[in-house]
Amino acid sequence: MSTLRENWRVVALVVLLVVSATALFVPGVPPGTSADEGTTVGGPQTESATQLTNLNYGIQLSGGTRLRAPIVGITAEGVNVTANDATQLEQTVADELGIDTIDIRVRPISNDRQMGAVEVVTENVTQQELRAALEASGHQPETVRDGVTRETRQEMVETIDEKLRTSALSGASVQIVNVPGGEHFVSITAPDRDREELVDILNERGVVKIYAVYQGGEDDSYVREEVLQRSQMDDVSAADREGVGWAVYITVRRDAADEFAQRMVDAGFGNGARCENYNHSDIQQTTGDGCLVHTLNGEVVTARGVRTDLGESFANGEFANDPVYVIPISNEAQDPAEQANEIELNLKAGQLPAPLDLSEDSGASLDPALAEQFKQNSLLTGLLAVLAVSLVVYVRYKRVEVVVPMVVTALSEVFILLGFVAFVQYPLNLSHLAGFIAVIGTGVDDLIIIADEILQEGEVETGRVFQSRFRKAFWVIGAAAATTIMAMSPLMVLPLGDLSGFAIITIVGVLIGVLVTRPAYGDILRNLVLDED
Amino acid sequence: MFEFEVPEVDYTRYSNRQLVAVPLAVLVLSLAVIGGWWAVTGAPVDRGIDFTGGTELTIGSNSTLTNDEIAGTFNEPVVSIQGITTTSDATYQNQYVVTFDNSADVSAVRSAVQSTDGMTLLGSGTTSPLFGSQNQRLAVIGVAVAFVGMSLLAFAFFRTFVPSIAIVISAFSDIMIPLAIMNLLGIKLSLGIVAAFLMLIGYSVDSDILLNNHVLRRSGGFYESTYRAMRTGVTMTLTSIAAMAVMAISATFFGIGLMADIGLILVLGLTADLMNTYMLNVTLLRWYKYEGVNR
Repeated sequence: MSTLRENWRVVALVVLLVVSATALFVPGVPPGTSADEGTTVGGPQTESATQLTNLNYGIQLSGGTRLRAPIVGITAEGVNVTANDATQLEQTVADELGIDTIDIRVRPISNDRQMGAVEVVTENVTQQELRAALEASGHQPETVRDGVTRETRQEMVETIDEKLRTSALSGASVQIVNVPGGEHFVSITAPDRDREELVDILNERGVVKIYAVYQGGEDDSYVREEVLQRSQMDDVSAADREGVGWAVYITVRRDAADEFAQRMVDAGFGNGARCENYNHSDIQQTTGDGCLVHTLNGEVVTARGVRTDLGESFANGEFANDPVYVIPISNEAQDPAEQANEIELNLKAGQLPAPLDLSEDSGASLDPALAEQFKQNSLLTGLLAVLAVSLVVYVRYKRVEVVVPMVVTALSEVFILLGFVAFVQYPLNLSHLAGFIAVIGTGVDDLIIIADEILQEGEVETGRVFQSRFRKAFWVIGAAAATTIMAMSPLMVLPLGDLSGFAIITIVGVLIGVLVTRPAYGDILRNLVLDED
Repeated sequence: MFEFEVPEVDYTRYSNRQLVAVPLAVLVLSLAVIGGWWAVTGAPVDRGIDFTGGTELTIGSNSTLTNDEIAGTFNEPVVSIQGITTTSDATYQNQYVVTFDNSADVSAVRSAVQSTDGMTLLGSGTTSPLFGSQNQRLAVIGVAVAFVGMSLLAFAFFRTFVPSIAIVISAFSDIMIPLAIMNLLGIKLSLGIVAAFLMLIGYSVDSDILLNNHVLRRSGGFYESTYRAMRTGVTMTLTSIAAMAVMAISATFFGIGLMADIGLILVLGLTADLMNTYMLNVTLLRWYKYEGVNR
């Protein structure tokens, strides 16, 4: 027992090595991985069902594409606009600027927002033009800036995330990257896809169809007729308005409004229609006068009747003056906000809320074969570096019992670090491998300090002398580690591409080294040196 | 096998002035190169595409292509073409890294390669000028914060002016010398090099702390303490130089730019550190120990 207690540092090292080995090699141990066949759920690796380790590789080491682009748009903040005026303001400003209402979005005052905002998500409107258009409509924006609102960024992430999930891209992810100073970038990572494929997926649109289903066939059988094209819709937005509650507002393009109204009248919706039950696969099962049906990729999104006043506006031509129809959500619905947003999302069919400015892309794309080559070559480079270090320390000390534990300790530091990386499922990139080499470098430096301190003239006769020398060595090691961590910490928080990973690996490695492995080397050396006598 | 034992330098043979002259001269020369570069080009060092924006393509081919053949594939002006050595099991015998400035559109140059027979697009990386200027701002902030943080820690550790400022000057010089050499060799600043500078701050301070600690906090005469610190410190720095030199050579060979950059800068910086620690720092400590304390 007492040997164990004396050598508790070595014991701690061995325990950590075992834990790391488990995290690295036992399938299913790291959270988010599955035990069967070692496939990583949500991990970017799909090419091999059985992996040797639980390590997760980034695109630099497994291939794939990363896009990092700003969102096109300008935003006027501090606009005094309520939910009830939002649609009107959208229309006015769109007319003023000569753009579609789909490219303009009003964020009215709400619980989350003290002041409203108006954003324009197209490239050919300047900040001055937006300000002038708002002032012409009687609003005084506080500021007009580049970029879009927080809500739009959130919608971007949700929409892209949905696209990535439905296009069977395993391990793909999307996030907003904030740069100090207010810039925001959308960062999308997709393993196994090249840049063109990823851009195609982002541009892909679902097929939305709008049908009228009515008793227009022989013997009053139901028929289904397309009455509006998705391209003829201008804007789809979910909103919670006073007196209405949650609803989805669909704006029809002005040039298509008359045609749409006429078709609805021809289909017998001129006085409104009740829709009781709608069956998409067998429309003859439908009951009621008729239904206005929206589908996405052949799946029904909504099937509703038409209220009398809307039907009348189709018939008397008023609809074209204000071409908006509303899909209200029942107040008794479980979560009306979610329902409304879901309908909005479906009818937008994967259209991004704002375009990505791909000309400002800062991304990378790598062929899996080249990535594999990088992986092997950088591993080889790392091994060569370790070999060089071993040679130098061997030439310097000429004592196997000093040098072998030194190299083994430095390597075990890397092994524990790999275990940590596998456990948190951090995707490894080239910069992290550079971090590993940095850790070996500082690690061996510290081990040399310990070795020199303990092996200095005057034998280590007692544990007390050892303790005092060890403590002296440790002061230098601790101070050196503190400065290294200090030097690396800015990189951890600044979004400087790959360098954050490098800094994190180095800092974690230095911590593991100072707290566990380097003290353990002192213990090992003491045992070896004391045994000699 | 060759022996290596850190030689004992007889510092008593040299005056403080003589010892300090060399590292200070090198530092002044480096600052002159950097200053001159700044005056002529408008930046202290040439910036790579990480900071100016631009695109880099990796192309694979089984035939040997000349630079003109590669450049002729694109309508956009090519900044540089670099061949990469491949291992025997690589899919393509030859690989080339082609760099474009920020006027090139990444989709256009990608499709130019994709539509050319005998060339395969293996990878592309692009940085927009917007993102590049962000990078530059953040990198300057990062290095500045790291340097100031390191300086504060140095003062906290030793709580006396001369030994602490010696660490700071030495670390400053360790960064400036490789920066000047980069200009002379025509190496462009990349994000990897920024990481290397931060690593250099960490490494550089290690041997300085060791030296200060032995001289100021241990019993024994100045020269004896210095020699002990040197034995350990020089071994430390030499192992790091060996590791980084191997990494720089191997990564250059394999075309792994990031690792090659880090390796090269650390070899240069650590070599500068040997000079700065054992000529500049030692002298400042000797002056402090024998003359400065009594003031």
